[in-house]
Amino acid sequence: MSSPADPVKQPPTRPKGHRPVVFDDPAIDQLHAAYVTLATELAVAFERIDTLERLLERHAGVTREEIEGFEADGAVAESRATRRTDLAQRLLRPFREFREDQIARAEHARSAPVRAPDEP
Amino acid sequence: MANFKQHGMLPATTHDEASRQEFVSALRGHLSGRLMPGNYRVFHERVEPAFKARTGRNPESEHEVRELMTKNPFYQFWSAMQRRSQEMLWESVIDPTERQLPELIDKARKLGARPLPGKRKGTLRLDPKLEVPRYHTAADIHLQPGGYHTDFTADDIAAGAIYDKGINLYMGGGLGEENNLTGDTLVAYIRKAHPDFAPRSILDMGCAIGNSSVVWAREFPKARVHGLDVGAPILRYAHARAQALGVAVDFSQQNAEHTDFPDGSFDLVVSHIVLHETSKSALVRVLAESRRLLRPGGLMLHLEIPRGRTHMQKFMFNWEAYNNNETFSRYMTDLDLRGEALKAGFAPDQVRVDQFTPELDDTQKNYGDEFFWNILVGRR
Repeated sequence: MSSPADPVKQPPTRPKGHRPVVFDDPAIDQLHAAYVTLATELAVAFERIDTLERLLERHAGVTREEIEGFEADGAVAESRATRRTDLAQRLLRPFREFREDQIARAEHARSAPVRAPDEP
Repeated sequence: MANFKQHGMLPATTHDEASRQEFVSALRGHLSGRLMPGNYRVFHERVEPAFKARTGRNPESEHEVRELMTKNPFYQFWSAMQRRSQEMLWESVIDPTERQLPELIDKARKLGARPLPGKRKGTLRLDPKLEVPRYHTAADIHLQPGGYHTDFTADDIAAGAIYDKGINLYMGGGLGEENNLTGDTLVAYIRKAHPDFAPRSILDMGCAIGNSSVVWAREFPKARVHGLDVGAPILRYAHARAQALGVAVDFSQQNAEHTDFPDGSFDLVVSHIVLHETSKSALVRVLAESRRLLRPGGLMLHLEIPRGRTHMQKFMFNWEAYNNNETFSRYMTDLDLRGEALKAGFAPDQVRVDQFTPELDDTQKNYGDEFFWNILVGRR
């Protein structure tokens, strides 16, 4: 049934359904997923650097010495810290989801009624 | 993004969001174009010969191929990569959509109410009581979180916005600048096989965001085009999107297995790679409903992807079933589509399956030269 809209319901970030384990050791699945994410974020960073370099080139006035000698302080340092955290969260997402799966499975196991061996 | 036309309902992207989407799209292109064919080489040059040396015979079923290939490190690597790229594809679209959702919903409301210059506007008819079938609710098709059918806020359109950009990335832009490839394919078929056919009423079953409905409405401007789907948020988006593109389509939330249209309502009933997302029992009902809705002389065209001829091809085509939540699509392997249409009431001389490859420009071809579509053709 399509239920009436509930404004507090959070949209899911993960698809419903079984996530296959591909490698012999599930840990490799997690590492692999994180590695693909890392590659994506690297591509994102490269593209941003490329944009910056081209803008600097176009508008001139910036030298390599200035870039090398740049010091991040105050708001700049803060914004960089936020960005680092965001990267870490993206990178660790597969591990977090793996942990959620483990917990969900454990809870499922706990919720099953415990019966003595001779019970029907 | 290259090869995708911005229209009024697409969420804007920040610099990084756009980069993320571009990379996922490029990665997917690389995976399907460069890496995926390696599975066939690995199978034919390594796995199969080793199996034969051990047993004195070749693998004799898709299942046997699966047992062998899922242990192969190259396949494992490709499969994990393919799965992760599919997840990231949605993640990259969800971020900008959720960020702008209130504005997008507002836009959809305004576009939906807006008259279209010089013609009647499209309509939207939702049915909150409709029971969404299990083949939608059991697992989120193609891993799109929430599927096509779940509302998370009032007048939600997120599922549609996510789907629109998502399928563009899915095919690395190969679906065309308005995700028009599958609609164009059936139009090309009808122009070739039935050049004089001029439908006045068209039904697009499982229309999702109406990307093909719009193609049909443009191709036959005198026809009234209906699009139906089970998902409310995807239909709200479809309605707003068609309005944004200035095309009149009548969308309704219905199940293609049993609609509320009277007998003989349509000259043409179509669907675009939808059948394999249903189930074996639903399929016959969809075909019977297609037949019921056709007026005498009317035409049914269901576009489908082939499911492979060899055991290895069948195994590879079913990757989507096991890893991409095309949960019920396994039933399509070895299924006699024409036989199902006969069960649904079509006479033997009224129905056939045509293999078809349209002549498209190269940007729309991200599949191999040997690729063809299956079209289930029925006449009333």
